[in-house]
Amino acid sequence: MARILFITDSDEKEKLVKSAVKGKEFLVSSEEINIEDILKVETPDIVILDCDIQKLDIKSVIKTVKHYPVILILYAGEKPVGKDITNHANLIISKDADKNIISAIIDAGLRTGTSLQKLADSNQELARSLYQLNVLYNTSSQLAGSLDKEELIKIMIEGIDKSLNFDLACVLIFRSPREPVLVINSIYNISDRLLEALKLRAILSYKSIIEDPPVDIKIGNLKIEKAVKHTIKEYDFSVLRFDSMFSKISFNDDFYGFVEIYRSAPFNTEDATCFQTLVRQVSLPIRSASLYQEIKETNRKLEKLERLKSDFISIVSHELRTPLTAIKNAMDIILSGKAGKLSENIEKFVTMGKRNTIRLSGIINDLLDISKIEAGKMDFRFALININPVIEYVKSNLTEMAKEKNLEIKYTPMSKDIEIFADSNRLEQVLTNLVSNAIKFTPDSGKIEISAKVINARDIQYDHCFEEEIKRLRGNYLQVCVEDKGIGIERKDLNHVFDKFAQIENPLSRKVGGSGLGLPIAKQLMEAHNGAIWCDSEISKGSRFYFVIPVANDKNNFDTIKKQMIVKAKSNGTTLAIINITGKGGFIEYLLNTENIINKAFLQNALIEKNNDGKTSITMLMPEGDKPSAEFLKTRILSEADKYESGGNKCDIMYSYEIEGDSHEKNPHS
Amino acid sequence: MKKILIVDDEQDIVESLKFVLEVSGYTCYTAYNGEDGLKLAKELLPDLIILDVMMPKINGYKISRLLKYDNKYKDIPIIMLTARSQTEDKLIGEETGVNEYITKPFELDQIVKKVEEYIGQDKQE
Repeated sequence: MARILFITDSDEKEKLVKSAVKGKEFLVSSEEINIEDILKVETPDIVILDCDIQKLDIKSVIKTVKHYPVILILYAGEKPVGKDITNHANLIISKDADKNIISAIIDAGLRTGTSLQKLADSNQELARSLYQLNVLYNTSSQLAGSLDKEELIKIMIEGIDKSLNFDLACVLIFRSPREPVLVINSIYNISDRLLEALKLRAILSYKSIIEDPPVDIKIGNLKIEKAVKHTIKEYDFSVLRFDSMFSKISFNDDFYGFVEIYRSAPFNTEDATCFQTLVRQVSLPIRSASLYQEIKETNRKLEKLERLKSDFISIVSHELRTPLTAIKNAMDIILSGKAGKLSENIEKFVTMGKRNTIRLSGIINDLLDISKIEAGKMDFRFALININPVIEYVKSNLTEMAKEKNLEIKYTPMSKDIEIFADSNRLEQVLTNLVSNAIKFTPDSGKIEISAKVINARDIQYDHCFEEEIKRLRGNYLQVCVEDKGIGIERKDLNHVFDKFAQIENPLSRKVGGSGLGLPIAKQLMEAHNGAIWCDSEISKGSRFYFVIPVANDKNNFDTIKKQMIVKAKSNGTTLAIINITGKGGFIEYLLNTENIINKAFLQNALIEKNNDGKTSITMLMPEGDKPSAEFLKTRILSEADKYESGGNKCDIMYSYEIEGDSHEKNPHS
Repeated sequence: MKKILIVDDEQDIVESLKFVLEVSGYTCYTAYNGEDGLKLAKELLPDLIILDVMMPKINGYKISRLLKYDNKYKDIPIIMLTARSQTEDKLIGEETGVNEYITKPFELDQIVKKVEEYIGQDKQE
């Protein structure tokens, strides 16, 4: 029923207006305090103010009334009122208006009031929708930035809280596939009995929405996480009578949990839409987070397994070496004749024993090497070397073995000027492997040829199955080739010869034995040298095994690469740092052998030069290198120099760098 | 005759080393653990010690450190045997004053040669 307040002190006017508002609630007052109370407690729809009122100041009454959403009608009196007052009125009743006119004006006022109210309501609703939309937007952008399940749930709850102001929210989620957690957010504390009820309810909901639940959730294994805003009060069972909404967190058929929220004020359709949208928005990131978590977990397990395997191989190999040493020692003593004279047969069989002991220890060494390489624990001693001594050494070492089969090993030494940056022991290992393979697979009285030359990467010829390895090479390389006239390898097997434990099926491979790890090790060693290894072969004609290592002191080659890289950096808008370090007393070599990021950076695109004054300098090209990274490297190198000098060496290092392709660096004024 | 002390928990290795070194004319004493080895080293004042790294109770490095930091024993050459080949092991060896570092599996001749380098061939004296 419409409520009307008439502020007047005239009985006559009161009677007149009262007769005009029949059927509506009608209140009359002439006391300021009363007016305030009525406005506050029973806010009327319309306030009619008598301008002739004596006891009150009209202006102050208007001021009070304006605080409330009412229609103000002025009842004009004897003396005229100024515009400053009439401006505040929605309608005016003229002083001589009769009952019908007053009634019509009040009805008009009521209609205006209703329209205004509607407008205000829809405005408010609009504002609320806008706010919810904003929350949705913020929440979804936050959700997109996280791969952490817990955080995603937190963002979602915050979003729901902001847009819907719940009293209590329960979220069931799985921390790991077997670890269900019930996350409870509430304004006030939760009584123990309510907590039990919420747990039970969550379990029942879980069982009702999932057929064949993969995890049996019980009161005992359901973890609880509570976040309470205020502890001054406690919720009891009455919360369960609040209005509530429920939604699954799922993606396609995958179920990740659910959300249930309670609020004392009822939810409307818009609230439901907002709630569903928020929950739906979290489903996809939760799925990604779950997958990510799974991948991380799998990775962790794999790494652990890999480590276990490496440790296992290394421990077993060490343990095997000890008895093997004892066996070999014993046979050495017998063969030396110091323990007594040997018959021909004893010598023959003990020699056989010894040969196989050596073979076994070779296999153990291979296993150790591969486990070390895979664990990244292989030690390298890089230095500037010429390949000739390495080849000569391997050749002379294997001459004995070749002679047994009446084979000849040929090598024509190459220029001494060509230097490579390599670990000569590891190169010997690779070459020994290639040459002894060649000896094993070449029929008696054959020939094995070793050759070495400098070749540009683009001139390298190879079977396309090695494209992966060769195409990344740039510039000039030292290429070593070991050629045999043996049984050859079938084309389909070519690239598998470098696979671990993959002995190619052929009549000879059984007979010659070996660990099957020699070539995989060689491949890994070559990779550590920034080189490559590959082969080509023709059945029953022979095989050629090649490996390449970057030529170290080829200034022309380096300059060409440098020019290319500068052009590339400038056209791509990136930078290239050219860093030069000079030092004496073997500091550069020390630097290169130090186990840190520096040596990896050095091995690529670097020029090492020995100067006449006993100093060595290295110039390296760092693509995408900028001022901070060059400065960072400088700090690292200076600290290495300190370490080096503390060992009693002098190194006098000089460090300089240029940055190419950085327009700010080059032209500070442009 | 020059005295050599061999300390290794692998009895077979000790036996074969003892055999070849005695054939070469040295007197050998043996111990199968670090504790006995250290005790014998102090009692006998040998001309050279062959030490294994991995041993129960007191390991080779510890013995080496104890002897090398004592003026009475610091001049006795020590040859260290190990099944490991990691560089860091060699660094520890150098730090504890080991004179020579030989990786298992080794050649018996190699040991005999090293011993000769350090204390000469006894027969010629």
